[in-house]
Amino acid sequence: MRASSWTWRLVSWVSVVATLVFVAGFIYAIKDVLYPSASSKWSSGPAGGISSVTPQTNDKEIQIVALGDSLAKGTGDDTGEGFVRRTVNVLQKEQKAPVKLVNNLGVNGMTTSGLLPSLNEQGIQYALKGANVILLSIGGNDLFQGAQNIQSSKGLPTAAELEASVKKASMKLRQIVVKLHEINPNAQLVYVGLYNPFTDVVDMRIPGNDAVTSWNTKATAIMNQYSQSKVVPTFDLFVENSSKYLSDDHFHPNGAGYEQIAQRIAQGLK
Amino acid sequence: MSMQAVARENRELILSVEHLKKKIGKKWIVNDVNFDVRAGEIFGFLGPNGAGKTTTIRMLVDLIKPTEGKVSICGFNVNRDPERALAFVGSIVENPEVYTYMTGWENLQHFARMQPGVDDKRIQEVVEIVRLDQRIHDKVKNFSLGMRQRLGIAQALLGRPRLLILDEPTNGLDPKGIKELRAFIRTLADEGMAVFVSSHLLSEIQLLCDRVGIISQGKVLAVGGVEELISGKVPYVIWQLFPKTQGIKLLHEEGIQLVEHAHEVLDDTLIAGLREDSVVTQMDSERIPLLITKLVSQGIQIKDVHTINPTLEQLFLDMTEGESIE
Amino acid sequence: MNSLLPLIKNETLKMMKKKRFYVVLLVLLILVPIFVYAQMKIAETNREKFNSDWRLAIRQAITDNQNSLQSARVPEEWKKYRIIYIQQMKYYLEHDVNPQEPGGVSFTREFMDNAATLFIPLLIMAVASDIVSSERSTGTIKMLLTRPVRRWKVLFSKLIALLMFVSLIVLSAFVISYLISGLVFGYKGFSIPVFSGFQLNGSDVDLSAVHAVPQWLYLLMQLGLIWFVSITVAILAFMVSVLVRSTAASIVIMMASLIAGTILTNMASAWTSAKYLFMVNLDLTNYLSGSPAPIEGMTLGFSLIILAIWAAVALFISFTVFTKQDILN
Repeated sequence: MRASSWTWRLVSWVSVVATLVFVAGFIYAIKDVLYPSASSKWSSGPAGGISSVTPQTNDKEIQIVALGDSLAKGTGDDTGEGFVRRTVNVLQKEQKAPVKLVNNLGVNGMTTSGLLPSLNEQGIQYALKGANVILLSIGGNDLFQGAQNIQSSKGLPTAAELEASVKKASMKLRQIVVKLHEINPNAQLVYVGLYNPFTDVVDMRIPGNDAVTSWNTKATAIMNQYSQSKVVPTFDLFVENSSKYLSDDHFHPNGAGYEQIAQRIAQGLK
Repeated sequence: MSMQAVARENRELILSVEHLKKKIGKKWIVNDVNFDVRAGEIFGFLGPNGAGKTTTIRMLVDLIKPTEGKVSICGFNVNRDPERALAFVGSIVENPEVYTYMTGWENLQHFARMQPGVDDKRIQEVVEIVRLDQRIHDKVKNFSLGMRQRLGIAQALLGRPRLLILDEPTNGLDPKGIKELRAFIRTLADEGMAVFVSSHLLSEIQLLCDRVGIISQGKVLAVGGVEELISGKVPYVIWQLFPKTQGIKLLHEEGIQLVEHAHEVLDDTLIAGLREDSVVTQMDSERIPLLITKLVSQGIQIKDVHTINPTLEQLFLDMTEGESIE
Repeated sequence: MNSLLPLIKNETLKMMKKKRFYVVLLVLLILVPIFVYAQMKIAETNREKFNSDWRLAIRQAITDNQNSLQSARVPEEWKKYRIIYIQQMKYYLEHDVNPQEPGGVSFTREFMDNAATLFIPLLIMAVASDIVSSERSTGTIKMLLTRPVRRWKVLFSKLIALLMFVSLIVLSAFVISYLISGLVFGYKGFSIPVFSGFQLNGSDVDLSAVHAVPQWLYLLMQLGLIWFVSITVAILAFMVSVLVRSTAASIVIMMASLIAGTILTNMASAWTSAKYLFMVNLDLTNYLSGSPAPIEGMTLGFSLIILAIWAAVALFISFTVFTKQDILN
């Protein structure tokens, strides 16, 4: 019959041609995977990669990028919002201009020495360039890393160690702030000051308070270099209210703690 | 050797089965089967279910490999050279199973592509032979069993076979269809085709076949012309006499053998026709006129007398010693 | 003697008449729009969140993955995947190339990548599983094998027809995915660069051989690899179809082994000998995109050899059994 012979011709030709194409693709794939030639290496886009691309900025909008450690990420907050999301929420209520959280680049466990090189990353630079508010939380891990496990008081840093950490990390912080200003000189930089999470641990109360105060002083000095930068203090919040504002891990703030921080940031931005 | 047998010797040998054996598991399903079929001959293959009939047929067409022995068709060994041997064969093994999702015509085209020299003209020819031309472009799904049977025969005839193998061909046919098929097979044989028909129906084989092979429990019990096989058998004669006892006495005196357990040797349809006063004897029918004279002279009334000619059934029952055929 | 071509024509026509292939097309026509819709939703939320700037979205994805690396609850094997993902995404960002450039072509690439190990093999089984067993269950095998044609030729013609349909199915999946997703995302994107040549050393990515290929070439390579996987699956299903009389049973056997493959792959098992199983080696496109293989020591060459051995053995068994076997019913 006509129909069946037509079917046969179509099916056979299409399948034979498809098979040949697939075989060619198959052979090329083997060649490409087993003997990759970097000869056709990508020459960084038409204009030299992402560094040459300018993100769209919008002056009528408040575009926020958060940067730093687990506090920026919101660890300890049962709702997962952290001070970043909460700040955005507060601002959205209070500000006329639309407020938008563009990126939250907070990474658990981040230290000043981890953050500094990452600022050279073009993807991060790109995100920062598009922001007009940068929220920064860093330094806590530099001072208290290893001390998070308060059950074993052996890991607790001594006053001398803390002082050394403050000195070293504050230098890094200075570099970070310089770098941030370099990347985006127009954005408001808000640094969230440190608090002493160990006010309820007898051995850590005094040295901790000393170290944090010293750190915050240094941080304020660094921020004061730039008119657009400020430190939001948190030390006083937690000094007497650690049980109220700290989460179960005795290190990170809880939802209420983050809310307090967010309120202060929002006030600072007015 | 009869005249018929001499004539047969001169015809071409189409199918030859020699010492065919098949062992499945530990059991010999077919054990030393021998027969041959010549051109123009209808060969009946008779046996109860489970006798090895199906296995033998499948070995004829290379569906099953024999354990020993060989099958040759037109001189070619089916097992070794199926491509050439099977070119001479058209067959339906068991039911004519065709592709139900295709039309009759597409089915025939499908099988035509599997053998050389069959074109659309030949397909049209066989369709007309089996008289399916009205419905051949319908999907086989919608065919009746009889139509499928005819389609099966059409596909078997496609390659102008020298040997036609039909396995239980009358299955599913109505009496009219059976009669037509019988005539049709006869025509094919008259044109010189060798036909191999298997059946478990004795009457069927007797009506259709020239020669017959009887198989039971994997062995061929007898092979020969139908006439030849039953010629030695004494016919049954059934009398209706009144008064019965006197009649029996006279028959006895004449040395006539009475059959005591008639239901064991006679066909069911015959037994159903027997009446209270029936007397079943086994005797030469030549003697009937003389016996009638004697019975009448003694005042015995003869209501009915009839002869039942020897049948394959009788032969079969004798050979298998009463083994049930169904 | 009898040429094979008419036999292949027979098998092809039967396949079409059985309408299995149309079912495959129908499944694709129903499922692809669903995937397209899901993708569209993802694209929409990304647009809202990141000012429709893919760079910000990618950067956020990197941070999210970095955070999960800190979690003690994430198994070490998964961390390896994430580290590699992070490194690749950074590479894309630095070169200002969107790895998920919206478009019909990118969608198709993503879809084919995900369909390679289970979806396409399933579609192939729909036509492969009953290719021999249906002839047995309907009894037509008797008609087929009493023709003056050698048994190996009958089986060979079925194999060729099957391979033809494998190509048709892979092609259909590609064409349908492209046409439907193009309606939503546009038909452009064949020349977008995609990076290939990420080489893995443990959890480290060697970037020295990374190079850009236009997306059409990437797709071509991907289709080639998927085709090879499909051929292997088809041949295995073919063998099962020869060995098992019931079509249902043969589908179940193949399905079970394919699904076992995905389970084993997800386990990223410590049982390293599992890499010799065919179903663990189906994700050939991984080697192209530079995703880590499920089991240490697996490379493209290794997987190809394993698949080829399985296919060869399956063919050998199929032909041996089919040509020797007695057809008892």
